[in-house]
Amino acid sequence: MTTGLQTLILGLALGGVYALMAIGLSLTYGVMRILNLAHAAFMVLGAYLAYWALQIFHIDPLLSVLINGPLFFILGVSLYRLLFVPLAGRPRYTEATLLLSFGLALGVEGLMGTWWTGIYRAANPVYATRSISFGPFYIPEGQLYATVISVGMLLVLWAFLQNTRIGRAIRATMQNRTAAQIVGVNVEGISALAFGLGMASAGISGSLLSFLFPFFPGKHWQWISSLLSLVVLGGMGSLIGTVVGALLLSVASVWVSSILGPTWSPVTFYAALFMVMMIRPQGLFGKKEA
Amino acid sequence: MKQLRYIVLVLVLLLSACEGATATPTATPPAPTSAVSSPTVPPATPTTPPRPIRIGLSIPLTGDLAIAGTKHRDGYQLCVDLINQKGGLLGRPVELIVQDNRSDNEVTVSQHERFINVDKVDLLFGTFASRLNFAASAVAEKAGYVYPIPSGGALRIWERGFKYIFYFQQGAVEYIGNAPLRALIAYRDKGIIPAEDFPKTAAVVHADEFFGNAIANGLLGGKVEIPGTGKVIDLAPGFLAQAGIRVVFTQKWPEGFTDWLTLANAIKASNPDLVMAASGSPDDIIQLVRALKTVGANPKMIYTSQGTQVEFKEALGDAVNGIIIHASWHPLVRYVGLLAGEPFSNQDFIQAFKAKYGREPDEDEAIPFAVCQGIEQAVRAVGSTDNKAIRDWLASRTKDNPVKTIMGDFHWDERGLPIGRDYLVTQWQNGELKFVYPIGEFEGVVDLLWPRPRW
Repeated sequence: MTTGLQTLILGLALGGVYALMAIGLSLTYGVMRILNLAHAAFMVLGAYLAYWALQIFHIDPLLSVLINGPLFFILGVSLYRLLFVPLAGRPRYTEATLLLSFGLALGVEGLMGTWWTGIYRAANPVYATRSISFGPFYIPEGQLYATVISVGMLLVLWAFLQNTRIGRAIRATMQNRTAAQIVGVNVEGISALAFGLGMASAGISGSLLSFLFPFFPGKHWQWISSLLSLVVLGGMGSLIGTVVGALLLSVASVWVSSILGPTWSPVTFYAALFMVMMIRPQGLFGKKEA
Repeated sequence: MKQLRYIVLVLVLLLSACEGATATPTATPPAPTSAVSSPTVPPATPTTPPRPIRIGLSIPLTGDLAIAGTKHRDGYQLCVDLINQKGGLLGRPVELIVQDNRSDNEVTVSQHERFINVDKVDLLFGTFASRLNFAASAVAEKAGYVYPIPSGGALRIWERGFKYIFYFQQGAVEYIGNAPLRALIAYRDKGIIPAEDFPKTAAVVHADEFFGNAIANGLLGGKVEIPGTGKVIDLAPGFLAQAGIRVVFTQKWPEGFTDWLTLANAIKASNPDLVMAASGSPDDIIQLVRALKTVGANPKMIYTSQGTQVEFKEALGDAVNGIIIHASWHPLVRYVGLLAGEPFSNQDFIQAFKAKYGREPDEDEAIPFAVCQGIEQAVRAVGSTDNKAIRDWLASRTKDNPVKTIMGDFHWDERGLPIGRDYLVTQWQNGELKFVYPIGEFEGVVDLLWPRPRW
């Protein structure tokens, strides 16, 4: 029983971080139907920036969230205007953006490899390998902080989407792009904003990633495949679904790992993906597309 | 909805394809350098210059084995250059014929066939990595060429009954796990580890890949099938059982594994005295050690198969202290070998290497250098490049009459595996990688820190 609960705690702590990692992916898809395959590559880029900030300027990875967030937001808006806008109106827009983001992922990976080589890095702030005990249980400090930041960011994002004009415009665009445009929403501006927000979440997750997991330039492929599985499970483009999907899958993979052995843990993600595709292709919270 | 399904399916296919391709860190393949070296002809000026001794080397300079392959080439080349500077071999200059096998098995085999049948080289040097040596050694064996192997520890290379292969490291990968255990026993005998404190239980965790599986096989006493022979090597009872240590937990992890805290949690629950972790990837080991620290698992000792690198300490900080790791070569070890009939120490090697290449050598350059030393000694001893005579001379080496290299002394069993050569064992102490085993064989060895500092 103790072991079971401990496993649940570890799974939930992991899930909080996964949720933040995936939320940007889901947001970008929801607003623009762009599946940003470079999302995880930018996460790794964010991790590198946090790592060097710690190594060179002694800036704690938790603080570098404040740098990475705005930096990646600006980067996202610029990239969107520079690369994705010219593709708008093309007959195969979704496929074209898919290939574009794939190319971006390769490009970012290549640049990181050139600048920082393929050596494994991991930021090592003091709390990364400590844990807090309560009774027979413990929670890893690094994961606790990362989860708190993730949940905080998700709440801010949620409040922003619910309570501001721009937030409502984003949600309207997610529900029906054409209708939003008809009622006067500046869809292009909203798209750039959403892409920027998605990238900001990648940058912030990168800061957290830097001390939770070791990384190297090619690591993003592994991340993006896990993230896609949980976005699909939650329902593509559904933000609440992404959070639920993240929690469900991380808890499930931790359970599978402790019962069947770690070999089966990554399989959890793909098994969930296949099951969703067969039983409920729109995902748990997704809506059927017309 | 159709569109969504289509996208997701495309993605899954795309990603599974990419994952295989870029799972390993990226590396820029080095630009191929001139293939044939220019030997320094000795100053003697006979009317007809002596025919050079030609040595064939098919080595990966491009492809996935390029980094280590290029280092092997550099190690070999340095040795050949030094022999030529010291007047050559049997009065003849030595010429190293280098061909890039592009990390490809087929190319490696055909280049060896060409060396033997077309170029009719005098000697062969072994290439880098098990899979290439597995194929190439069969060609050499058939043609009666001595095939000295710098890298290729898997038992399946050595259990085929070949007569012309000789290994220039410590022992088969399956035997690696014996070194840290022997070190612990030696320190118990020395009184550093109190007898009642000696580990009684162990957890063995490893990556589900070639290297990790082989080490675990040796520790746990598994079976190894030798392909093509129907032979099965039984490693029972395993080194842990031999050392009187009970295995209380075993687990393997797959490639791309991330769930380290759960694994560490399970290890902690089994409460072992000793944790032994094996993987070819330093990343895995870093993750595992961090997770063990995070969950507060405090075994008396931890052995890992990776972790002598600077990056290891950088990623783990003080958590490295106390961890023991095996090694094949180290700059500190004061082995004295022979080159051109004169003593040539490991430190001489490091100096010569830095002079030629302007950087510090590592294991991948020291090992081929030792291979070259071994072959040079054999040629000098038999007075010719007759491969049969060289083979017999190498095979008849003994403990008192060994081949002497910068990696220490070598003599081999009938399989071609070195006898009595333990892997070195190193330990992180106060943030520095120290030598702790073997005890009393060379300077620079310090006592084992026991038990590991708790975290």
